[in-house]
Amino acid sequence: MINAWLRWSRENELAYLFFRNPVAIVAAIIAILCIGGAVLSPWLAATDPYDIASLDIMDSLIPPAWSESGDARFFIGTDDQGRDLLSAILYGTRLSLLVGFLAITFASVLGVTVGLMAGYFGGRFDAIMMRIADIQLSLPAILTALLVDGIAKGLLPRGQHDNLMIVVLTVAIGLSLWVNFARTVRATTFVERNKEYVQSCEIMGMHPFRIMFTHILPNIMGPILVILTVDLAVAVLLEATLSFLGVGVPANQPSLGTLIRIGTEYMFSGEWWIVIFPSAMLILMIISINVLGDFLRDALNPRMR
Amino acid sequence: MTVIFRRSLSVGFAALWLTASGVTQAETFKWAGTTDPQTMDPHATNSAPVLGFLNNVYEGLVRRNKEMKIEPALAESWEQIGSDGWRFNLREGVTFHDGSAFTADDVLFSYERASSEDSDVRSWFAPVDSVAVVDDYTIDFLTKAPNPLFPDSIANFMIMDRDWTTSNEAARPSREAENFATRNTNGTGAFTVTSRDPGVKTTLQPFDGWWDTLESNITEAVFTPIGESATGMAALLSGEIDFISPIPLQDVPRMKERDGFTVHEGVEARVLMFGFAHQADSLKFSDDLTGENPFKDVRVRQAAYQAINVDALIDKVMRGSAQPASQLVSSAMKGYSEAKSERLAYDPDAAMQLMKDAGYEDGFSFGLQCPNDRYINDEAICKAAASMFAKVGLNAKLTAMPVRNYWPELREDNFDMYLLGWSPGTFDAEHPIRFLAHTPNSEKKLGSWNFGDYSNARVDELLPMIQTELDEDTRQAMIDETTELLQQEIAYIPMYVQPLIWASKDTIELTQRTDNFFILRWVTVN
Repeated sequence: MINAWLRWSRENELAYLFFRNPVAIVAAIIAILCIGGAVLSPWLAATDPYDIASLDIMDSLIPPAWSESGDARFFIGTDDQGRDLLSAILYGTRLSLLVGFLAITFASVLGVTVGLMAGYFGGRFDAIMMRIADIQLSLPAILTALLVDGIAKGLLPRGQHDNLMIVVLTVAIGLSLWVNFARTVRATTFVERNKEYVQSCEIMGMHPFRIMFTHILPNIMGPILVILTVDLAVAVLLEATLSFLGVGVPANQPSLGTLIRIGTEYMFSGEWWIVIFPSAMLILMIISINVLGDFLRDALNPRMR
Repeated sequence: MTVIFRRSLSVGFAALWLTASGVTQAETFKWAGTTDPQTMDPHATNSAPVLGFLNNVYEGLVRRNKEMKIEPALAESWEQIGSDGWRFNLREGVTFHDGSAFTADDVLFSYERASSEDSDVRSWFAPVDSVAVVDDYTIDFLTKAPNPLFPDSIANFMIMDRDWTTSNEAARPSREAENFATRNTNGTGAFTVTSRDPGVKTTLQPFDGWWDTLESNITEAVFTPIGESATGMAALLSGEIDFISPIPLQDVPRMKERDGFTVHEGVEARVLMFGFAHQADSLKFSDDLTGENPFKDVRVRQAAYQAINVDALIDKVMRGSAQPASQLVSSAMKGYSEAKSERLAYDPDAAMQLMKDAGYEDGFSFGLQCPNDRYINDEAICKAAASMFAKVGLNAKLTAMPVRNYWPELREDNFDMYLLGWSPGTFDAEHPIRFLAHTPNSEKKLGSWNFGDYSNARVDELLPMIQTELDEDTRQAMIDETTELLQQEIAYIPMYVQPLIWASKDTIELTQRTDNFFILRWVTVN
């Protein structure tokens, strides 16, 4: 079993590099723990922070269990509403990751499609799309997200806004990240476009979209994978930022950003755990995903080795 | 050549001298609050942040002193004429900031402006029948009936200059849009506004031509709104600002231990309460009910009342520094109903039974609107209340928003339930009855903050009687009756009286007034 594993890792270049890189291994373990904990939160968490009827205000602001006035029921303490902080963080990470994954999917589908078409067809379509991308790039991501959020708030019917907030956030974050994909994919498509296998496909009379998606796309997956990982971290961070500013998920739904926002109000009063633990979770998760992204970039780029 | 040189030299010296003297004498005072005054127009918004701020710039005929007693301001004296009116003898030699003289005509103009359709403070003049200018420095306010409290009730009625206002096309206040008076000021008060950047920064300077002697030694005052309380605390601790109101309750113990800072504590006149959409035909924010409004049923309102554990809210969210409230005014106010000072008990079981009786055993969802930068811990109170409501089947969908969006939302009736704090400007129990309990009636200038359209014929009948009654005991009996009606019908859920908590560097001397108005002319920087 172990031998087979070792043999596989020796044959597989990526796995070989991975197991020789302790930093990447640690990052992967942390990322898996974060993501696993988030996905399994309904089974792992002691309480359900969405069930506001179960909260008791008398349980609020209890310090972590190991301190003097701690309570064994709440391992890392409670927040101002009497929510178990550990459960809130697990659920919050789930929400943050959900928004992050949805947004990155949206951004990559949009960005890759635009990038492939721009790189393949060139000409006017390329020029127009890339000018739009340039405009998009000149706007900071947070500004785009705020803009989309503001427009959605104005357009959506009042009662529906909170229910659709995740969709709004996804679109807002996705729209501010698609350019990275589009530009990279366009550049690599330009290179692939003139290679012989593409030309032979064209001579065979294959439909351009088939060439793009079944022949070019698999050959440019490397850079896309790298952007996917790095931008996932950016998307999670953006979600946290928006929620921290109070324009993200509704106040009564825990996401890492809202938890940190609540925590900052108690920074000077000695209730440090409310801000420290969600922040630590966010930092750990972002760093580990970023380290993995860096590793992928180096591993997939022959010149970086 | 030499002339030019000499002149530029003298200018240079003058500038040097000015800067040098500025360094030694200038006392810039920087203060912060959670809410920026939405407007600089004293008749456009009847809210404490606006009136409190503008009390430094504009003045009324009378003003309140440090003990909240009425004292002469633009009127030197006043007396009752006949049974139904008041004569004000105005101060001579007062000028507005732009240099024009203050006369009775400006008072008449300000009355017309403040009692017009567009004004938010017109209910102050509901008892007024007519106003007559006797001469340049005498003016009569004739009331519809005897009104012993009238001078007390107009301490925040600020006087504007007729010429300045009309020539700048601001003859009428603008509540929603803007006009010239929204950003510019021309009062008679101790300070002038030298620059105004709404939501960012407002700068004031003492007015040289003020008629009274200034107690303060500040030469410039800068106001910055800081919505996030932790940011405000950081600004005070780092020395960026000299004073902040309020500070978060959770920070009070630590703040008291710190050297170099003073915490100013007091009881505010403000009662925090939840209000209902009494008249709406359907809930606006419900996921599961359409075409019906359970809050029309007094049993549902009582269930909401008894679902709230006010003691827990005070103990946990307010950190013990608030007092439970049974009615719309605090016990420090005139006309407080001792006879009706009992709150309904916190009783979730009774609340569930009431919900069952009303036919909502399975509960329902509704929208709870809440400001997040207006009252102390307002959002936390709403979140805690939402979880208490949920225990009896009232599933509140909480929306917390900054106050600049909050009042327009309430004015447009976008709520099923909402949070409101009320501090009676007259320090009398009649004030909230007039604003919050009387059926909204724009013609009579009544019920202007009764967003939920609560209406009770007997309350409407009692209000004018309370306003004109001269005998204290009879008047109190009427207030008791009104209070009882409001309690029986659960017109509002009064919860607690908010504390006043300010903090400053200990080099600052100031006076804390119970209406939470911050009066700059009492500030001394040592």
